[in-house]
Amino acid sequence: MAEERVRSEMTGKVWKIIASVGDEVSDGDEIMILESMKMEIPVMVDTDGTIKEFLVGEGDEVTEDQEIAVLEV
Amino acid sequence: MSFDAILDDYEKRREHALAMGGPERVARIKARGSLHARERIDYLFDEGTFIESGLFATSFIPEAQASTPTDGKVCGYGRINGREAAAVSHDLSVKGASSSLTNVKKMRHMRETAVRNGMPLVLLNESSGARIPDTMGAVGTGALGQDPEQFVRRREVPYAAAVLGPAYGTACWFTQLSDFVAMRKGGVLAVSSPKVTEIAIKEKVDPEELGGWKMQSEITGKVDYATDTDEEALDLIKKFLSYLPSHHNERPPEGAVPAGSDDAARKILDIVPAERQKVYDMRKVIAALSDKDSVFEVKPRFARAATTALARINGRTVGYVCSNPLFKAGALDPDACDKVTSFLVLCDSFNVPLIFLTDTPGFLIGLAGEVKKAPGRIMNFMTAMQLCTVPKVSIVMRKSYGQAYLNMAGTRNADEMLAWPSADIGFMDPNVAVNVVYGVTYEQDRELFAKHLKEVTEASSAYDLASIYSSQFVIDPRETRQVIARLLEVHNRDRTGGISKHQLGNWPTTF
Repeated sequence: MAEERVRSEMTGKVWKIIASVGDEVSDGDEIMILESMKMEIPVMVDTDGTIKEFLVGEGDEVTEDQEIAVLEV
Repeated sequence: MSFDAILDDYEKRREHALAMGGPERVARIKARGSLHARERIDYLFDEGTFIESGLFATSFIPEAQASTPTDGKVCGYGRINGREAAAVSHDLSVKGASSSLTNVKKMRHMRETAVRNGMPLVLLNESSGARIPDTMGAVGTGALGQDPEQFVRRREVPYAAAVLGPAYGTACWFTQLSDFVAMRKGGVLAVSSPKVTEIAIKEKVDPEELGGWKMQSEITGKVDYATDTDEEALDLIKKFLSYLPSHHNERPPEGAVPAGSDDAARKILDIVPAERQKVYDMRKVIAALSDKDSVFEVKPRFARAATTALARINGRTVGYVCSNPLFKAGALDPDACDKVTSFLVLCDSFNVPLIFLTDTPGFLIGLAGEVKKAPGRIMNFMTAMQLCTVPKVSIVMRKSYGQAYLNMAGTRNADEMLAWPSADIGFMDPNVAVNVVYGVTYEQDRELFAKHLKEVTEASSAYDLASIYSSQFVIDPRETRQVIARLLEVHNRDRTGGISKHQLGNWPTTF
């Protein structure tokens, strides 16, 4: 099984993690919500897979392009 | 020689040319699951309309003439859904469809004929690059460059390209010059092949990494769509062209209005949340405002904070320029600026009226953007927008701040400026503005923050904008489609027959 890294598309703060490790996800599914530019920004996966690990926790600051989760695809 | 003998010889020569690079080479192309050059032509054009130009062209080198039927590029004219077009279909089975002195002449003739007669040029690209030994030495290379207009885009006619395999050299250049690009997955779009790259600079690079579909559709944005098959890529070209006029001196063709096209627009409030911190997908708004199933997104995988799309409203082609809150909150980054600029150039060149839908916290600020020349890209976008002379209708839906308000055709930059009653307009997001202007955060002092927030948000409503006539309309969101349709009837540009001034006609194709 290959791994795919999910990256943050913008600088912000992790507001909520809405999926769990082990969840099966499909292209377009939301796994996390960031707070940035005073808005709630969903993080969507762009491939089908299973969530292996979250690399950040709620409240963490993230920067653009930072790896924030790992999928098994 | 009798006519029978002459015609017998003619038929043999014709069969030889039509056989391309021979059964083995053609079979290799078929084995990888793609169409060959002639099948692509058959698929592209309406049945029985193709007339071939240069069937008997070959390499200028005598020893290579027998092995270079059509000199590796099948060219000619046909009709696409009843409308004339010129096409160049690279034939990989003949010397890798490499570019030579003869087939470059063929390409030139296709381009000149398309421009002179006002019909789109379709480029089915797949080529190993310049042919060796033809272009070797001063005599070979110096013989090139006979056409001082070869790479000049004035956008008199649309160029639409497909990348259907390796596309290096001329195939790559003409892809770059095109208004629309569909790419079959597995194709490679690059200056030079991985093999040449490795030899020349000792860089071992994977073809997908060098110029594969993911890179070209998501990072460079040169490719609009990636497809699994040749047929899908050709269908996309046909669809793209269906929105545009055949040349820059006519209006886009009108389409039929499907029944039920007004229904979705009335439910637009089901898509857009009233709370400004909540996101939604602007593509759903575009679909709701447009004629049923008429939306054709351009560069959907690239710079998604901006959405650009061709569509129809009451049968008329329009171009949407939108911020999309679903991605980066709709904050426009440098790539989004490039995406919008190239779309503005397309629409203005081919007389497509523009609809701006704005819901943005502004341009994305920060180091990442500055490194990517954000200020210059914002000004490119602004300059291009101000040079557009097609009708422009601009609508602020929930918020629009700062320079982004102007870039999205704010105030007099549009023929008509509209706002939903939910719109908030100002120099920056009010919550941020309180921090910046007064140095107070919500966490530090909620009461003081609320006081300053009230001050900052004063006079920032749709009605305030309308009171100084910087917007001409405040509209019920559910009436947006009807109002746009009506305003496009008013701003019909009858004096010029709907033809723009084409001030962006020779804007660079990549910047």
